[in-house]
Amino acid sequence: MDQAEQYKAVMSEIIAKQSIILGPDMAVARAKKVSGIEIGDKGEVISISGDPADALKRLIDTYVELSGQIVKNALGSIFIRYPEIEQMH
Amino acid sequence: MVPRELFPAIAVLTVLYLVVVAFSYWGVRRTKRKIYEKDAEVKRRLYELAILKEISDRTGYSLNIQKILDVIVGSLNQFLEYSAVSYMLLEPSKIVFKADLERSVSTHFIKEIRTRMLGSLTALLGRDLADMEVEETITGAIMIDIIEEPVQSYFNIPLVIGGELVGVLTVSHTKAGLYKESEMEILYKIVNQASQAVTKLEEVVKTEQGKIAAMLESMLEGVVMTDREYHILAANPAAKFVIGYKGEGTPTIFDFIDAFKDLLDIRSKLEEAIKLDKIITVKEVFFSNKYYQIVVSPVKSNVGFTKGEILGGVIIFHDVTHEKEAEKMRNDFTSMMVHELRSPLGNIKKIGEMMRSSKVLEDKQASSEYVSMLYESSSSMLDLVNDLLDVAKLEAGKFAVEKNQENLKEILAERVKFFDTTARDVGVTFKLLMESAVPDSVAIDSKRITQVMNNLFSNAFNYTPKGGMVTALCFMHKKGASLDIEARTMLAPWITDNMSADTALIPDSVVVAVTDTGEGILTENIERLFNKFIQFSSSARDSEHKGTGLGLVIVKGIVEAHGGVIGVGSKRGTGSTFYFTLPL
Repeated sequence: MDQAEQYKAVMSEIIAKQSIILGPDMAVARAKKVSGIEIGDKGEVISISGDPADALKRLIDTYVELSGQIVKNALGSIFIRYPEIEQMH
Repeated sequence: MVPRELFPAIAVLTVLYLVVVAFSYWGVRRTKRKIYEKDAEVKRRLYELAILKEISDRTGYSLNIQKILDVIVGSLNQFLEYSAVSYMLLEPSKIVFKADLERSVSTHFIKEIRTRMLGSLTALLGRDLADMEVEETITGAIMIDIIEEPVQSYFNIPLVIGGELVGVLTVSHTKAGLYKESEMEILYKIVNQASQAVTKLEEVVKTEQGKIAAMLESMLEGVVMTDREYHILAANPAAKFVIGYKGEGTPTIFDFIDAFKDLLDIRSKLEEAIKLDKIITVKEVFFSNKYYQIVVSPVKSNVGFTKGEILGGVIIFHDVTHEKEAEKMRNDFTSMMVHELRSPLGNIKKIGEMMRSSKVLEDKQASSEYVSMLYESSSSMLDLVNDLLDVAKLEAGKFAVEKNQENLKEILAERVKFFDTTARDVGVTFKLLMESAVPDSVAIDSKRITQVMNNLFSNAFNYTPKGGMVTALCFMHKKGASLDIEARTMLAPWITDNMSADTALIPDSVVVAVTDTGEGILTENIERLFNKFIQFSSSARDSEHKGTGLGLVIVKGIVEAHGGVIGVGSKRGTGSTFYFTLPL
């Protein structure tokens, strides 16, 4: 999987996890507001424009802004599966 | 009829009219929408303010997140449409789940919410909560199972206090796509603000508790605090030490009751103190080889609505063993002092009785002997009384010396000459080593310095066996040099063992020292040399070396009144060196 695809997969997993934590309505609505990512109705990342690392940071920040650091901490298990991306964050 | 040539103009005007009407309609719609949005925004803002005020009014400065959630749940219908609003709170042994139904839903709906809330908590904690007991409370509308409407819209708000997850709040509905992001965000904002307020309050409470705990920890007295039901809320290390408690955590009241069972009924004393609102002091309890004064007192609130209300009790264990020992020493001292005075007084009385006989008065030789005995007995008494007066002055801080420029070398030489006879009598070699650099004139109280020398020489001869040696030494000391090195440059004996102070720190002075080859002093007794009670007691028991025992106490007082220091080095079986300094 190339890096762009990895970023799409990570972001999709993050939105899926936030859908469990916050509920899908809120998780998808917040993700749709993040610039540089196109999100499908079910929360899947369709495309990323610009630097994917920046887009990932913006996505995480939008959830942290809403309910604090604890939602970021819950993402640890996702990053374990993507060590290359984890190193960059 | 309208002429045909006007048709294009009419058409243009009509189009223009329609365009104007369309724009006007669009403008009005736009303005209306804006007003509506603004109105909604104002309503949301008002709700936000109202609910935050209500939380503040109803819970006050509360740390109870459940109370705060109840306020939010109770007023949420003013702002949001929902079927159920619910919260889950994590407790050490269970999960509290409470749902308030705005409209009837099925048990399946409730089960679904519960599952989703547990899923949210599990995802946040990263651990499975399936084994946790869930205590469920449903309020509001009744549940009707025939309503087969599932959860179509919901959102969860994690509840975080002080960085720790404490639960989750969930709003749910049977209708799909109901909640707008802006509405959800308002509730997030409210919950976050309430959580932050609780976090800040908890921090304040923790800081204060930390201060109290640190204070309790550092107290020398054992302190045990209980609630009204006698459960121990805090017990400091000193309290645990009293009962020999070595377990982890806080002991129970029964640990204290059992420890003191035959000596003091702690439970009854606590009950009495709390019920009668009085402080009880048990003056003396002998427990584990120590004496304790035990104070049992009620603890009252001094703030808020509960001001004056008894919150519990406190037990304070004050170790009075040292006070008891000091009291015993004082009593021993008094009885020994009386004994010392009674002996010469008894002699005087007996001599007086004998001298009443005319036969004795006629015998001139016998009369002369009795008068001499009278003189010795009264002198002995006077010495003791003078010593006691000096010690009393020292203790009262009223001891003063009258310093004049005096020839210290001459005074020392004269004293050496005086004690030379004693030295010969007891078969001890006595010599004086005087450094030439010692000035002829030093500011001292000659009478008092003579008293110091007399005492040190007298002690040296008392404790040096026949064939031994006593060396008197006088030299100049420079700050930074050790006294023993300075003494040894004069080839003088000097015993440094057990000499605690760093003599290099002593400022420039004249040093007078006496070194003997006596039995030496036990290490544990060196510190006691200058204690009036202990030294008196020791010497009174020592029939071979009789004395008031107050001598060294007075010597120390005289030297310190001159601004100098006194010190001792001693080694058992080798001898001792006593020195004092007189600053220049």
